[in-house]
Amino acid sequence: MTESFDLLVIGAGPAGGEAALSAASAGLNVALIDEGPAAGGQVWRAPRTAKAKRSRAQDPDRERGDDLRARLAASSIKIFYATQVWDARPGFRVSCVSDAGAKELNAPCLVLATGAIERVLPFEGWTTPGVFGLAAATAVMKAEKALFGQDIVIAGQGPLLIAVAAKACELGLRPRAIIDRASRSDWLRAAVGFAGVPSMLITGARWMSQLALAGIPYHRGSEVIRANGDNALQSIVMSNLDSGATEEIEADTLYVGNGLTPADELHRLLGAAQTADGLRGGYRTIRDDRCRSSVPNLYVAGDGAGVYGALPSAIQGQIAGLSAARDHGALTEAQFSARVKEPRRKLRRLEKFGDASCRLMQFPQDVTTHVSAETIICRCEDVTHADIHAAIDDGAQDLNQLKHFTRLGMGPCQGRMCGLTAAAILNHRNPGPKTDTRLTPRAPVRPIEMNQLIGDFDYDDIPVPKPAPL
Amino acid sequence: MYDLAVVGGGIHGASVALFAARGGMNVVLLEAGALARQASGTNAGTLTMQMTRAALIPYALKAHEMWVNAPHWLGHDVGVVACDGLSLAFTEAEEQLLSERAKARSAAGAPINLVTKAEATRIEPGVNPSIRMASHCAIDGYANAYLTGLAYRRALRDAGVTIREYTPVTGLAASGKGYEIRLAQKAIAASQVVLTGGVWLEPMLKWLDIQLPIKTLVNQLSVTERTGPVMRTVLGIASGLLSLKQFPHGTVVIGGGWQGEGRRETNYHRTTHDSTVGNARLAVHAIPALRNTRLVRSWTGFEAETADALPIVGPVPGHPGVWVSGSVHSGYTSAPYIAHCLTQAILGHHPEMPLFPMDRLLANSTPEAAHFPPKSQ
Ligand SMILES: Cc1cc2nc3c(=O)[nH]c(=O)nc-3n(C[C@H](O)[C@H](O)[C@H](O)COP(=O)(O)OP(=O)(O)OC[C@H]3O[C@@H](n4cnc5c(N)ncnc54)[C@H](O)[C@@H]3O)c2cc1C
Ligand SMILES: Cc1cc2nc3c(=O)[nH]c(=O)nc-3n(C[C@H](O)[C@H](O)[C@H](O)COP(=O)(O)OP(=O)(O)OC[C@H]3O[C@@H](n4cnc5c(N)ncnc54)[C@H](O)[C@@H]3O)c2cc1C
Repeated sequence: MTESFDLLVIGAGPAGGEAALSAASAGLNVALIDEGPAAGGQVWRAPRTAKAKRSRAQDPDRERGDDLRARLAASSIKIFYATQVWDARPGFRVSCVSDAGAKELNAPCLVLATGAIERVLPFEGWTTPGVFGLAAATAVMKAEKALFGQDIVIAGQGPLLIAVAAKACELGLRPRAIIDRASRSDWLRAAVGFAGVPSMLITGARWMSQLALAGIPYHRGSEVIRANGDNALQSIVMSNLDSGATEEIEADTLYVGNGLTPADELHRLLGAAQTADGLRGGYRTIRDDRCRSSVPNLYVAGDGAGVYGALPSAIQGQIAGLSAARDHGALTEAQFSARVKEPRRKLRRLEKFGDASCRLMQFPQDVTTHVSAETIICRCEDVTHADIHAAIDDGAQDLNQLKHFTRLGMGPCQGRMCGLTAAAILNHRNPGPKTDTRLTPRAPVRPIEMNQLIGDFDYDDIPVPKPAPL
Repeated sequence: MYDLAVVGGGIHGASVALFAARGGMNVVLLEAGALARQASGTNAGTLTMQMTRAALIPYALKAHEMWVNAPHWLGHDVGVVACDGLSLAFTEAEEQLLSERAKARSAAGAPINLVTKAEATRIEPGVNPSIRMASHCAIDGYANAYLTGLAYRRALRDAGVTIREYTPVTGLAASGKGYEIRLAQKAIAASQVVLTGGVWLEPMLKWLDIQLPIKTLVNQLSVTERTGPVMRTVLGIASGLLSLKQFPHGTVVIGGGWQGEGRRETNYHRTTHDSTVGNARLAVHAIPALRNTRLVRSWTGFEAETADALPIVGPVPGHPGVWVSGSVHSGYTSAPYIAHCLTQAILGHHPEMPLFPMDRLLANSTPEAAHFPPKSQ
């Protein structure tokens, strides 16, 4: 089954939602695809449970999300929810699955707005049940107004750390500790960048003072080095980055995250040029000031192209949608310039804020030098730190070889969790000119249900190619 | 000066390099990328007689025995599992095709016999009960192809082969008593040269002004996530367009030669929507339990095919000391044995089984090239 449009937008978060709306407002026939049940993406996520829907707590993210969802519902945009994109080919031909089976959507222009995924630096015991991501915590709190755990510890770095801690307090939980990799001076330096966006600075400051008032122990310049417990988390061990002093804290749940990295599988699959992102680690997709990638008629917006946060993502989306409309001939150059002027001005200010947040999420490249040999790096395939070093000893020079030697990155997450960590180990071991330390992108970009892929079919209708020669 | 330079580090090149070094030669192996990262590291690893061309069965049988004994001669593990193989027929037309093919292959020496639905279901309890019949071969199995590079690297190092990865060869010319092999930076010299470039044999032979078209197939494969046991055999269907097996760690690899898209010139290849869906449907039709799994990755690789779909293995006419090996159908299976025979010839012995000289193909296309190298040389 194939349907055609002027523009396809993948991802209905702030970036994709705004891209679809601005392109449709310029007259394009737009389809918007998201694997979730509603628009909003990560940060403007729609409430799912009755409890969350009822919640009246003042929440600007919820308001922005409701507004986006209302504007989308009132638009001419064809929306495919609960629809997962698993492949995209030049042209553009986008392969999707849903409960209705597999289908291809076609359009001459494509916006990728796939958002970010969380990075977690491995430590001993990080695969113990009871250890969760920070981003996962925000997602659950938004959808359900609830958070799992009694004795919780919140650790890692970046803006999500205090956001999660403050929201957990609002839910009546009392974290036993907040453990922040960033030091006081890291925060002061970042604050200069935050100052450009006073509303965000105020929110952040309010959260910080709430936490201080509640008397939650806040350990700066520290990290979790071990999670104890076999089938359930019992305690964590924290270490001060400067002094090396350690302390054990009892906990049944640990939320930990070290920032975000782009979910850029589709970008890479389509061959969009990327550049190493020194500030954020990993790679970012190159885009011009019209959100055009290096691939003709492929536009990129939001955290999927480079992590800047929700507000810049929304504006990039707006620009990407207008840019597609311009290239498709629906806007004149003058109309386009007039409509992007204000968004561009706002974006410059907001991107500075994004850079400042990212400064809080930095960590040294040799992230595993302190990690024990038995620590698991690839959790899908149980590949340990020692296994990786053994493979490098055996001659593995790039990530694809490392994968063949160890199965690292061959499981369901396809290296999303471990790829950057493994690349850091490789680079650390093989100094000198860097080889490309990215795994080859391939479809499906995320695991797909076989049942959805094949749907119902008759054996006789399978287009079996002609037999191989005898 | 090396005794032998092997150009192309897939399964064919790596095997020839290994056997030649063990035969006493001073060998260098030149590979454009990393060892066995093209067809030889990304193939389905099926070691089957039921998809092998009848003419290659005798070689494949010998090679199968070698694969099963890999720990002894290779010294390192490529995860070989020997098991039963079944090829299935779901329709009357497939029954007929299956019977014909089983007959031809057993005439060539493969122990294949036709079995009833009941017998097939006993051999493979996971199979779709709607099959009509099957052909069974007790000599079947699979390797874990992605381990090829690691296993061969260790073996080649032990045998004293000089391995040069990320070293594309750019040209070849007679020089003194041997050949000059041109690299991006500087050239190296060797008395003899073996070209084992897979689909890139066509551009390699052009270095010698030989025009020999090599068709580039873009085979695609998919793999499921780890799942509980759903099958215990290697499965195919009469037409040969399915290959299916479950690895000990639980993943199921789905293949059979469905075509993706790509170009040898740019080394770009990828799956297509229709082939992914079609191949997956065929797989689930054969093993219905696969419907409840998830697909985690699909990929493609280049397979080489000559005009008559038979190998080119032997001396390059007009260029004494230059050899070629490739375009072997089901070429992973047969590679170690074919390389063994070719190496015997390179070492000056009589090969155990006949080679597949390329002259037959040159005579038809550009007769001059075979006998009178053009003046430009
Ligand atoms: C788990 C998580 C929680 C976060 N929580 C917060 C927070 O509380 N506050 C904050 O300021 N920032 C948060 N962030 C940062 C946040 O990602 C961004 O700032 C913002 O949401 C970026 O907007 P976006 O439109 O680029 O991406 P997103 O909002 O992430 O939207 C991307 C959308 O694309 C869809 N998608 C991706 N791939 C596919 C595919 N293959 N097929 C179909 N659909 C697809 C996703 O379902 C998602 O809806 C969070 C990030 C993550 C990963
Ligand atoms: C997806 C797929 C599935 C398959 N499944 C099976 C199966 O189940 N069973 C089976 O028996 N067979 C299978 N095959 C076939 C089998 O993989 C091949 O026949 C076999 O691997 C070919 O080996 P080769 O050494 O000739 O070629 P390759 O492995 O392609 O090696 C050629 C090498 O030459 C190198 N090279 C090219 N140009 C240069 C240069 N200028 N300088 C230096 N090096 C160069 C390349 O980088 C490459 O590494 C499959 C093939 C594919 C693609």
